[in-house]
Amino acid sequence: MTRADIIVVAFTLALLPFLYGTFWNRQGPADTALIIDESGREFGVPLDTNQQLRIDGPLGVSVLEIADGRIRFLDSPCRGKQCIHSGWLDESGEFAACLPNRVSVAVSGSEPLYDSINF
Amino acid sequence: MALVAVLPLLTLSCSETPPPQQHHKTQFMALGTLVTVSLWGVDEDDAAEAVRTVEDELNRIHKTWHAWQPSTLTEINAALAAGKTYSADPHTLALLRKAQDLAHRSGQLFDPAIGKLVALWGFQSDDRPDAPPPARADIERLLANLPDMNDLVISGDTLSSTNRDLKLDLGGFAKGYAVDRAIERLRALGIDNAIVNAGGDLRAIGAHGERPWRIGIRDPQSAGVIATVDTQGDESVFTSGNYERFFTWDGVRYHHIIDPRTGYPATGTVSATVIHRDASTADAAATALLIAGPGKWRRVARDMGVTQVMLIDEDMHITMTPEMEQRVYFRTETPPQVTVSEP
Repeated sequence: MTRADIIVVAFTLALLPFLYGTFWNRQGPADTALIIDESGREFGVPLDTNQQLRIDGPLGVSVLEIADGRIRFLDSPCRGKQCIHSGWLDESGEFAACLPNRVSVAVSGSEPLYDSINF
Repeated sequence: MALVAVLPLLTLSCSETPPPQQHHKTQFMALGTLVTVSLWGVDEDDAAEAVRTVEDELNRIHKTWHAWQPSTLTEINAALAAGKTYSADPHTLALLRKAQDLAHRSGQLFDPAIGKLVALWGFQSDDRPDAPPPARADIERLLANLPDMNDLVISGDTLSSTNRDLKLDLGGFAKGYAVDRAIERLRALGIDNAIVNAGGDLRAIGAHGERPWRIGIRDPQSAGVIATVDTQGDESVFTSGNYERFFTWDGVRYHHIIDPRTGYPATGTVSATVIHRDASTADAAATALLIAGPGKWRRVARDMGVTQVMLIDEDMHITMTPEMEQRVYFRTETPPQVTVSEP
C-alpha cells in the first residue's frame, strides 16, 4: 500500500461518520418555528434562543416557550388545552395549534424528513 | 482508487437535493384548521395563484357546510326540522348523495344525520363550554328516534326528511370532500404534483420530483411520528382519532366521535388510518372504522371498499390489513407489536 493509498483510505474512513450522519441517520431536527396568528400573519422564529412568546388571539394570549431547540404551548386561554397536551415540537414537520385562539406553530429544519404529517 | 469510489457517491448524494424553488409549501387557516399546500415543479407565480385558488375554494366550502354558523347546511337543517322541503343546487345534491352512499355502505356508523346528538354533547362549537356530559335520559330520548341518512329524501332537486330529528352534520366527511375539491382545482390549473393537507388529513398527487411524497403518521400518544408512508400516484391518507377533540369531566375523558348505536363516544379504538384514492371515502371510512371498533371493523372496511387500514386500540396494539402492512414503515426504535388481518 503506497502512502497515497493510506491517505485515501484514511480520508474515506474519516468521511464515513459524516456520510452516515448526513444521509442514513437523519432525524430531521427542526431549527425554525413558523407561527401563524389569527390574522394570518406568519412569524419565523429560530429555535436556538430560549424565550417565551406571547401571541394575541380572539380568546386572549397564547404563550409559547422555546427552550433547548424545542417549542411548545406553555399556556393558552382555550378550554380544552389540547395545544398544551401536544407537548414539545422538535422534529421537522411537527405542528400544534390552539384552534379556538387561532394560533398555530409548525417546526421545520433545513432537511425535512416528511413532506406532510397525517394525524 | 478509493477516492475514485467515494467521489461519485458524494456527487450522487448532493444531486438528490433539488433546486429549492421547485418546492413550494404554504400554510393558512381554513376549514377551521391549519391547511398546508405543498407543490412541486411549479414556478412561484403559478404556485401563488394555485394557493389562492385552493384557499378560496376551501373558504367557500367552509361557509356552505358549516354546521353551527349560518350556512347552506344550517338553512337545510332549519327547513327539514320545520317539516319543509328545500331546493338544493347540483353541488349540494351531489355532496349529499355521496354522503348518503357512504353512510349506507358503512352500515350507518358514519351517520351525518345525527347532528342533534353531536350538538347535545356540545361538540358543535369552536370551544366547548366547560359543562358536564349530557344526561343519559336526554341521550336515550334522541336514540329512541335516531335519524340516519335514509331519512333524507332526495327527489329531483328537492330535499325532504322523514324524521324531524334529522340534523345534518358533515363533520366526518366535509374535510375529505374539501380536500378532493382542492385537488380538482389544482389539476384544472395543470398542477400534477401536490399535497393538500387539512388539519392532518391529506391527499397527495404525483411526486416530489424523482422521489415519492413522504408522509409521516403521527403517534396518537405523542407529537412524534410513528410510521412513514410513501404515496403512489394519487392517494389520500386520513386518520380519525379520539384525541383530536375531547373534554374531561370528573376525571373521565369524552371525545367527539359519537357512536350512533350507543349515543356515547366510540370506545375500543384510539385511531383509524385509511389510505384510499379519494379523500371523501377515506374520511368517512376512517370515522366509521373508529366507531366500528375492534370487533366490527372488517365488515365495514369490506363494505366501504377500503383495503388499506391501520387501527390502534386503547392498549396501543396495532392492527393492519396486509395491504397496509406493505406500505407502512415504522419510525420507532423498537417496532410496535402488529397484528395483520384481512379486512
